[in-house]
Amino acid sequence: MAVTPTAALVQTLNGIQFGFILFMIASGLTVILGILDVLNLAHGELFSIGAYTAIGVFGFIIGIVGPPGGGVVGTAVFVLAVLAAVLVTAAILLPVGTLFEAVFLRQIYDRDQVYQLVLTFALLLILLDVKKVIWGDSSIRTDAVYSAINTIPTSELVGLNYPTYNVFVILVGSVVVVGLFWFFERTKTGRIIRATAIDREMATAIGVSTDRVFTLVFALGAFLAGFAGAMAVPPTSATLEMGTNPLVLSFVVIVIGGLGSLRGAFVGALLVGVIRSWMITLYPPGEIAAPFAIMALILLVKPEGLFGTWGETA
Amino acid sequence: MEQTTTDHDTGGIGRRQLLSAVGGSAVAAALAGCSTLLSDGETADQGGQSGGEISDEPIQAGLLTFTRGAPGVLGIQAQRGAELAVQRINEAGGVGGQREIELDVVNEGSNPLDSYNQFIEEGKEVTFGPISSGTHSQIAPEVEKNEIINVSTDGTVTTLYEETVPDPTYSFRFQNYDIMEVVTMAREAVERIGADNISTVAGVNPSYSFGEDEMRVFTQAIQKLTDAEIVYEGFPELGASDMSNHITSINNEEPDVTFSSLWGGDVTTFVRQANANDMFENTTVFGTTLYSAAGDVPGDALAGTDIYSGSRNYYWGLPALGNWQPGRELFDAATQQEGVTVPTAHYMSGYGAVTAWATATEKAIDLLGTYPSQEQIAQVLEGHGFFTPAGYHNIAEDHQGASNSFAGQMVYDDDLGAARLDDVNTYAATETAPPPGVTGSDWLDSWSA
Repeated sequence: MAVTPTAALVQTLNGIQFGFILFMIASGLTVILGILDVLNLAHGELFSIGAYTAIGVFGFIIGIVGPPGGGVVGTAVFVLAVLAAVLVTAAILLPVGTLFEAVFLRQIYDRDQVYQLVLTFALLLILLDVKKVIWGDSSIRTDAVYSAINTIPTSELVGLNYPTYNVFVILVGSVVVVGLFWFFERTKTGRIIRATAIDREMATAIGVSTDRVFTLVFALGAFLAGFAGAMAVPPTSATLEMGTNPLVLSFVVIVIGGLGSLRGAFVGALLVGVIRSWMITLYPPGEIAAPFAIMALILLVKPEGLFGTWGETA
Repeated sequence: MEQTTTDHDTGGIGRRQLLSAVGGSAVAAALAGCSTLLSDGETADQGGQSGGEISDEPIQAGLLTFTRGAPGVLGIQAQRGAELAVQRINEAGGVGGQREIELDVVNEGSNPLDSYNQFIEEGKEVTFGPISSGTHSQIAPEVEKNEIINVSTDGTVTTLYEETVPDPTYSFRFQNYDIMEVVTMAREAVERIGADNISTVAGVNPSYSFGEDEMRVFTQAIQKLTDAEIVYEGFPELGASDMSNHITSINNEEPDVTFSSLWGGDVTTFVRQANANDMFENTTVFGTTLYSAAGDVPGDALAGTDIYSGSRNYYWGLPALGNWQPGRELFDAATQQEGVTVPTAHYMSGYGAVTAWATATEKAIDLLGTYPSQEQIAQVLEGHGFFTPAGYHNIAEDHQGASNSFAGQMVYDDDLGAARLDDVNTYAATETAPPPGVTGSDWLDSWSA
């Protein structure tokens, strides 16, 4: 199949867009792994709860604001309403994360890692049932956001045929990346978290409450999962099974980037997103295998991943 | 192209054809029964109660279908259809006027074979479902081993009765299978666009046996009808959240026709993302099961699209509701059920699978004067013709259901709050299915170019 330059650009953008969604999921997984040393198998379910929750929040907030009004102001109000809905959704996941850490995980930090895996797997199953109880078996969707944002002209202004919602994901994803790096590099709380990651005993010795840091980090992870779910759901539907694939790909991403490395998660997510995109274009049967092949290759060449562990640098 | 004119009384099959089919099936059943049904009762121990009084014990039946997730959009339709058929049979006094049906429903899920085996261990007298072709390929050999009749609602892979279970006794399928619906859409593409205007074709189909089977058959059929070249084939996973890569590839090729067998929630995702990427400016989409998402796909996603969808065995607008009361009654009853915005062909596959088995059992009771064994019901099911609100259906001697199929432009109906087909063409089973005993591939090969 001959691919035109325009199609090549769009496929790359598709990959970048998917990569940003993956990064938003993987970043939460990464900070929890980097600080708490816990591989949270329930992270995909937190992502899907974000998607389900977002559908209700979008409906509520956009119901207040109404459809995108004419002109720049009306459009800006609508986009801000969507962003507010995403943030509210993510904020709803904060207490969920806090609860999980305080009630369940805190009890088993000193035990072998297999207990953490079993516990987080149990949480995964419990969350599946919780979703069934709250939202039922059927898939649900939000119609208010995707089409409305796509009516805003962006890529066609430069002669490209590319949905504005995807541009929106890339822009918001970029802000999340910058925001996370800024948080961990520049803020006091971020530095405390990194210090705890580097040397837990020393952090405790200088007065850092590791309990509080751990709770904060797990809540932050849940926040990022919810944020990703809210961003991912408008072009598709929320389904009970939707947490599985992103979780698996997120594991691939963090292994490629280096377990617990935020920088690695970012590079790994974009790498997986773009290569998967190109594989679908050039050899569709390779879509599933490609990310795993990259992971295997990197593990052979650099077993600790592209950027090693997190802490010394974000 | 040869096209059948719809007859509202028969769902598209001509009167002479109908009489022939009904008479033929009755005679075939009677003759088939002569040696066995009137025998010395050796068949009485084969899972039924032949040779004795008809008990009033409820019939334990099981239905395997998708009840959740993206496939649930389709599976719940089958479930509700089966439930309504059971309700109507029970309200009429049950099978043989005495035996009501109790229907257990389980989610097809990740371990469908375990669920099916559980049904058998529980002593189910009949099982219905599954939806998935892959599941059906696993279950059909087990059905033959267990000697308990299964009437599948779907599981439409072409090779099922050609290769997997080439000489079935207890396994039946109500739904029109892949080759029938695919040929329907190949004919529909030629009808709408014209053979001379189709030179390039792309495909976006689910990444498992059903989707691969449908694309293979469509390729074979369309290349017999036109000189088209296949320029792209994409196979997204079931439940994929992002189909933009496939859409971009189609935009890159701008094929005359894009064929798709996506179904359920995947249709909604595909249509929404394709519309957002302006794909409908570059191609016309023909899909076998796009209409399965009739109650799910939003109006704004369908606006400005150019999509023709098939409906395997039922379209609620044909026979026309206004002058065909059973269709109206079914439509009204179905839309009162939870999770059914508008009944689709999959609703009818649930309804029809139960009806096929119950009417065949009833026919066997009439012939025997007592309750039949599994083998006797199976014999009657071969060549069994019966009516549902979708018209006349026949279970052919190859165990494959045969019904009229429909195709039309998919449009959003604001009054209905769901998608419907507009400007509908009807295709008789004789136009879309190989004769019994001929494989689909051989039949397609035999077409003159």
